[in-house]
Amino acid sequence: MKKIILPVALALSVLTTPVMADKIRIATEGAYAPWNFLDDDGKLAGFEIDLGNALCAEAKLDCEFKANEWDSIIPNLIAGNYNAIMAGMSITAERQKKILFSNEYYPVNKSKLATESGTKVDVDNIKGMKIGVQGATVQADWLEKNLGADNTIKSYEKSDQTVAALYGGEVDIVLAGDGAYDEVIAASKGKLVFVGPGYDIGGGIGIGMLKTNTELAGKFNAAIATLKANGTVDTLIKKYFKKGPFYSVTMDSLKDKISALSARVDALEKK
Amino acid sequence: MLEIMPDWLLSWFSDDSLEMIDYLTNGKHLTWYASVRYTLFAAVLSALFAIGFGLIGAALKQSGFFLFRWIGNFYTAIVRGIPDILFILFFPLAIEQGVEYFIARSKCTAEQIATSVNWPPCEAAQWFLTTNDYLLMACLSLGLVYGAFVANVIYGALQAVPKGQLEAASAYGFNQKQIFWKFKIRQMWAYALPGLSNIWMLLIKATAFLSLLQVTDIVYWAGLLGTANYFPSAGMVHPNWNFQYYFVLFVFYILLTMVSEKFFNMLQAKASRGMSVVER
Repeated sequence: MKKIILPVALALSVLTTPVMADKIRIATEGAYAPWNFLDDDGKLAGFEIDLGNALCAEAKLDCEFKANEWDSIIPNLIAGNYNAIMAGMSITAERQKKILFSNEYYPVNKSKLATESGTKVDVDNIKGMKIGVQGATVQADWLEKNLGADNTIKSYEKSDQTVAALYGGEVDIVLAGDGAYDEVIAASKGKLVFVGPGYDIGGGIGIGMLKTNTELAGKFNAAIATLKANGTVDTLIKKYFKKGPFYSVTMDSLKDKISALSARVDALEKK
Repeated sequence: MLEIMPDWLLSWFSDDSLEMIDYLTNGKHLTWYASVRYTLFAAVLSALFAIGFGLIGAALKQSGFFLFRWIGNFYTAIVRGIPDILFILFFPLAIEQGVEYFIARSKCTAEQIATSVNWPPCEAAQWFLTTNDYLLMACLSLGLVYGAFVANVIYGALQAVPKGQLEAASAYGFNQKQIFWKFKIRQMWAYALPGLSNIWMLLIKATAFLSLLQVTDIVYWAGLLGTANYFPSAGMVHPNWNFQYYFVLFVFYILLTMVSEKFFNMLQAKASRGMSVVER
């Protein structure tokens, strides 16, 4: 038996060696607009696809995106199906136990609750609600810890399914990271609204890699630093999210920050 | 699609149906239609594998040597008893790790092999499977599973050829080799075809498992396109349309099996011509 297997394995190894060349495979979900999604042509598109390609051009890497379901995206990285993850994944201590993160390429931002307009939500005291969220996300963990005791948390495989559940009345509120619902709410013609100020959940968004792959992380970090400095990251954020947060300090971003802070002060004073 | 349609044709449709035509012919949908090739390719290649394994299996089963007979019976018994979905998940993994094992032995250092907790022990031995690799492996798994059924059918059909026919051939002075090929094997097909056509139908249905191996086949795309979309930048906004898309698959598979049935009826007529025993 061994006599047969060995030549076959050798032949296969010869055949597949060129495939193993320095191609960097990046996994993304392909269902989390505007971060990553399938466009009308059935190709992966979005903020992370553009940014990933720009980073690879900067780091002189030959990169290729492939779609992978969100809930198996970390296990499949560890199993070696691809080299990196760019899927709107927040950098958290929990995940850092399993994988290595690059520096962030999108800053920490608020996660927001959305609901059907007309649903009354007491933001400071949410009780007895059915809350929808995409599973295995920082938002899901946060909900379980903070609102899990008094509410029913329902998790879904895809971000789109949480919105479908909201429209279908399966859940009363949904929670997702900033940017994920902006376009949905704009397109809902007033049927859906954001409620509350939002929560600070998770860290910035980074590229996930194998813990042993420090070489690739170094290359990505250098490229991220360059693209942040030359404004490419901000341009892409502007293109896909229409608004900040940006990395460069501009008059507009300062004004935004000041008005946000003064709103906070007002709110505190009222209390 | 709309760009290449002549004006007189465009004026036939209402704006709503034009929008629908545009939607149904966008890149996503064209990719979906084109992905039929994976299903058809997998069905045909798996069928060829299945016939190959089936013939080997049947030959082993009726071998005079007990070890071969035992192997043949073991193969058909074990494969038929295990759900095919397990085979589809198991074989590609086993093949992948087997290949990686041998590459690791030549490309990784002994230290890496001894200490690494990850599989494979070093990056150089990593085999990234492409869609085509997965497709090939899926076909091999399906071929193995349905080969066991084919082995049984062919074995049964060989037994079903009337002894009298072979004795008559012998009486007419044909030698053993001629009797085997020109009478036994030739008549065997007439008995085997109904069973084989049945296995082909099962095989077609089993191609729906391809999507489990990341092959972007029709089932995969139907699932993807049917999912609700609320992001205008990701295409037309629509609620959950899974029902509609899966219904299309339903119709597709029924049509495919209907065409196959016609084809097998033709083959059957061809194989059993001149045979009074099985002629209908």
